[in-house]
Amino acid sequence: MNLGISATEFVSQAKEGAISVEEFIAKTLERIKQVEDKVHAFITVDSQNALAKAKDIDKKIRSKEKIGSCFGMPVSIKDNICAAGLKTTCASKMLENFVAPYDATVISRLKNEDAIIIGKVNLDEFAMGSTTEFSYFGTSRNPWNPQYVPGGSSGGSGVSVSALECVASLGSDTGGSVRSPASFCSVVGLKPTYGLISRYGLVSYANSIEQIGPMARTVEDVAFLLNIISGHDSHDNTTINNPQVDYLKDLKSGISGKKIGIISQMIGEGIDKEVASATNMAISKLQDLGAECIPISLDAVEHSVAAYYTIASAEASSNLSRYDNLRYGFNFGTEGYEFKAYVAKARSNFGPEVTRRMLLGAYVLSAGYYGKYYLKAQKVRAMIKAQLDEAFKKVDFLISPTMPILPFKIGEKIDDPLKLYLTDINTVTANLSGIPAISVPFAISSSGLPIGIQLFANSFEENKLLQAAYVLQETTDLPEVPL
Amino acid sequence: MVEKKEIEHLGDLVKVELKDPEKYIKQVEQIIHYFDRLDTVEFNSDDTLRREVDAENLRDDKYEPYGMSLIDHLNKDQNNFIRAPKMV
Amino acid sequence: MTRIGLEIHCQLTKLESKLFCSCKAEYRNLEPNSNICPVCAGLPGSLPMLNKKAVEKAAMISLALGCKIPEKIGFFRKNYFYPDLPKNFQITQYNAYGPTSIGSDGKITIEGKEIRIRRIQLEEDPGRLVYEGKSMLTLVDYNRAGTPLVEIVTEPDFETPKQVRVFLNVLADLVENIGVSDPYLEGAMRVDGNISEGQGNRVEIKNVGSFRDIEKALHFEITRQQSLLERSILVIAETRHWDDARRITVSARSKEEEEDYRYLPEADIPIVLIRNESIESIKKHMPESIVAKRERYISQYGIPAQVADVLSSDRFYSDLFENSYNEKNAKEIANIITTDLMGFADTREKKLELKITAKHLTELADSIVNNKLTRNSGKLALHEMMKTGKSLTDVISSLDLGHVSDVGSIEKIIDEVFKEEEKAVAETRQNPDTINYLVGKVMRKTKGKADPATTLDILKKKLSS
Repeated sequence: MNLGISATEFVSQAKEGAISVEEFIAKTLERIKQVEDKVHAFITVDSQNALAKAKDIDKKIRSKEKIGSCFGMPVSIKDNICAAGLKTTCASKMLENFVAPYDATVISRLKNEDAIIIGKVNLDEFAMGSTTEFSYFGTSRNPWNPQYVPGGSSGGSGVSVSALECVASLGSDTGGSVRSPASFCSVVGLKPTYGLISRYGLVSYANSIEQIGPMARTVEDVAFLLNIISGHDSHDNTTINNPQVDYLKDLKSGISGKKIGIISQMIGEGIDKEVASATNMAISKLQDLGAECIPISLDAVEHSVAAYYTIASAEASSNLSRYDNLRYGFNFGTEGYEFKAYVAKARSNFGPEVTRRMLLGAYVLSAGYYGKYYLKAQKVRAMIKAQLDEAFKKVDFLISPTMPILPFKIGEKIDDPLKLYLTDINTVTANLSGIPAISVPFAISSSGLPIGIQLFANSFEENKLLQAAYVLQETTDLPEVPL
Repeated sequence: MVEKKEIEHLGDLVKVELKDPEKYIKQVEQIIHYFDRLDTVEFNSDDTLRREVDAENLRDDKYEPYGMSLIDHLNKDQNNFIRAPKMV
Repeated sequence: MTRIGLEIHCQLTKLESKLFCSCKAEYRNLEPNSNICPVCAGLPGSLPMLNKKAVEKAAMISLALGCKIPEKIGFFRKNYFYPDLPKNFQITQYNAYGPTSIGSDGKITIEGKEIRIRRIQLEEDPGRLVYEGKSMLTLVDYNRAGTPLVEIVTEPDFETPKQVRVFLNVLADLVENIGVSDPYLEGAMRVDGNISEGQGNRVEIKNVGSFRDIEKALHFEITRQQSLLERSILVIAETRHWDDARRITVSARSKEEEEDYRYLPEADIPIVLIRNESIESIKKHMPESIVAKRERYISQYGIPAQVADVLSSDRFYSDLFENSYNEKNAKEIANIITTDLMGFADTREKKLELKITAKHLTELADSIVNNKLTRNSGKLALHEMMKTGKSLTDVISSLDLGHVSDVGSIEKIIDEVFKEEEKAVAETRQNPDTINYLVGKVMRKTKGKADPATTLDILKKKLSS
């Protein structure tokens, strides 16, 4: 049995009865057991429920009962998205025992379509990081080379899809957290337009810019997942009530006659040579297929990392305030403590990156500094958006490498936070402006590490974006993961 | 310049006891210094890109009890109170 | 000079659901933590869903206090750690980065004194803390968490605690009148004050339980500050708590120790657009203001100003009035309500016990106006109707209150009096000023039911014949 099939292949084979869902799930669980030691993608594996559900779906298939469009497809979920009855740890000591009593909207939508939640996957603590090294439960490893980081913060999602431990995954993207592991693990990852997917049940880190995003092996699979999880939600004031779109319908429309802008600020200085040449290769292939590529300068991008970390830290410091260990949390009694001392003691169990960002957030929001940092960062957002609006008058898409560098060794950058922050230079623009962006696996470096290419489109133009991503995907012929 | 006293004050604001405040001083200072570039940007708009919603599209005022006894999922005492440490 | 400003928290008790979730807005008398959901308990992943009607009700208060309502309102997070705050921040409104609270720059004139309203903001109420006896552990009940609250901030325009009391009474009547809050529910209206003497520093007074206590706390604080100033001791800018048991204010924290709330826009709630049409429609559906009502009572029905004052500011009785009056009896009804009813039922409980309806009042006032019942009998009938809810006809017959105005019956009684009071009759013939004695005799014989005018008429005729 081939665990490496795409979601669309899985669905058609399960529908026809060509594969047994139970067998597929059992094999998947076996695979997880086999490779977890090497890659550590999962925090929780829900074997029993997954198998029971699979049996149930097989029965329904045999008796030709109505079944949801996922037909028991195994999906992994980043462990900052609540699924009822399972732990939602956010890879933090603070929530190591927290069992969510409710389903996130994306989870209930997946369950309605008979997807199987195979488990919860690793991340940087509260999604703060871009390597998955900041997980309380230990780092995830890149299936292409376990000495290397898988990217992050949705590292567990990227790894589990890449290592064939599931068919697809949901991650969350605050500053590149879906696209970075997608790029480093050679899978497809989409950061949708802010407001396209409900955040209800996603544990907030920087709530004004983050979105849940699908990760899968193909662009079709991402479109398929997007069809299920997108749309207005009465539990999230920030979702947009647009008419529902079928993202699979015109997926293969091609790119002929379309214009693509090459973002100068994302392909110049500081970029890895192999990444640069892969990007140029991608551009020339798209040109061969009828797209016109022109350079586009977005000078506000120069300020994007500073603006991003200002906003993200400020929001994080507020969003994480609720973890005072009183209503839920780890085992630590209140006897003998005064309130403030207790809370400060309990909260000293946050990891170093989360602590750092909360300190930064307190700094930029404290009296007297708001105007200097936070307000300016907000204005940079508007400036970036205005420049993008101008750009999208001229072009249909923008293109850049997803990450300016190749995956690097575990531990290499962990002690230099600023250096690590700067690697987000190509991804944060989509979050600050709200526009959608997708990372498509494009090449493997001479050292055997994946390189992803990023495409952007204007807000709520996911259908167009997926069409372009599909074209790019079809130009590639990548090797299988060597695991 | 970020000093030890300031780091501890920030720690107090976010209620985190810093086991090793020294460790954070240099990093926070370095990052704040990087953020300082925001102060040099020239803007020609005060727009801050906030999303908007029409008041008519807000939630209707309707009481719907939550479908389960949520308190049973939280840390509570025998009388269903959440217990907090003493205040003074 | 004393300058006093107020911050009044008023719960929007007339709403069904909380400010950001569908839990019940009425949290009183429930089992601990039985009225909570992931949103108001601040669970990870939950998001606030703003209550449309709460925005409308807050807009009504703003309009009633003459505030401007901006086209766009926004919410902020006020960050501080406290066990009654499930998220350790409060979602509220804030005006520092553009006026985005529901109301600002209003004013209201009370007894000739103009009080400026700085800001009105919509926010969530925290949970409730209970302190456990010996251990002093804090027990938290989140049933109240997320209850819709409006904070009204005045400019420091009050000069005396008495002005404050009058303002608060008017405000309580106002929020009740426009149907946004029941100010008499426990905890529905809470008030903090700030006060400065002369050029001295400003002191905040918090933790005041009731309206009556704010007056006491302000009195205490004025005396304290004045005596410091007399001795040339600096008044420290600080927050002081009202100690109800000791009847004094106690220092809580100095200005330097004030929390840095690190206000931050609440991105989970987009900026809310309030269309002009919506404001116009709210205005149209708003109940008449107390001031307008008072004017109408005076100018249209000739009700005396003092009576109109009292009647217009009490929602319960003015509603009763509105439902019972007609053009002929309006003055009479206003009279009955303000002199008899209000004196009898002056508390909320007593009002609720009243069995009298608008129909009763209309019939009663009509009978008095049409001379079918004397005022005196009317009062007796009213008391009976309040207690029993019986109809006027039933009450009149059971108490034998029928008005005697037919000439025949009265003549008969006067004849009897003439026989019994020969001396007095002779005296009155000499001196007509003493006629009241005879009128009184007739009244006594009829138990007050004889029509005074008719009686006087017949008496005069008989005396001169």
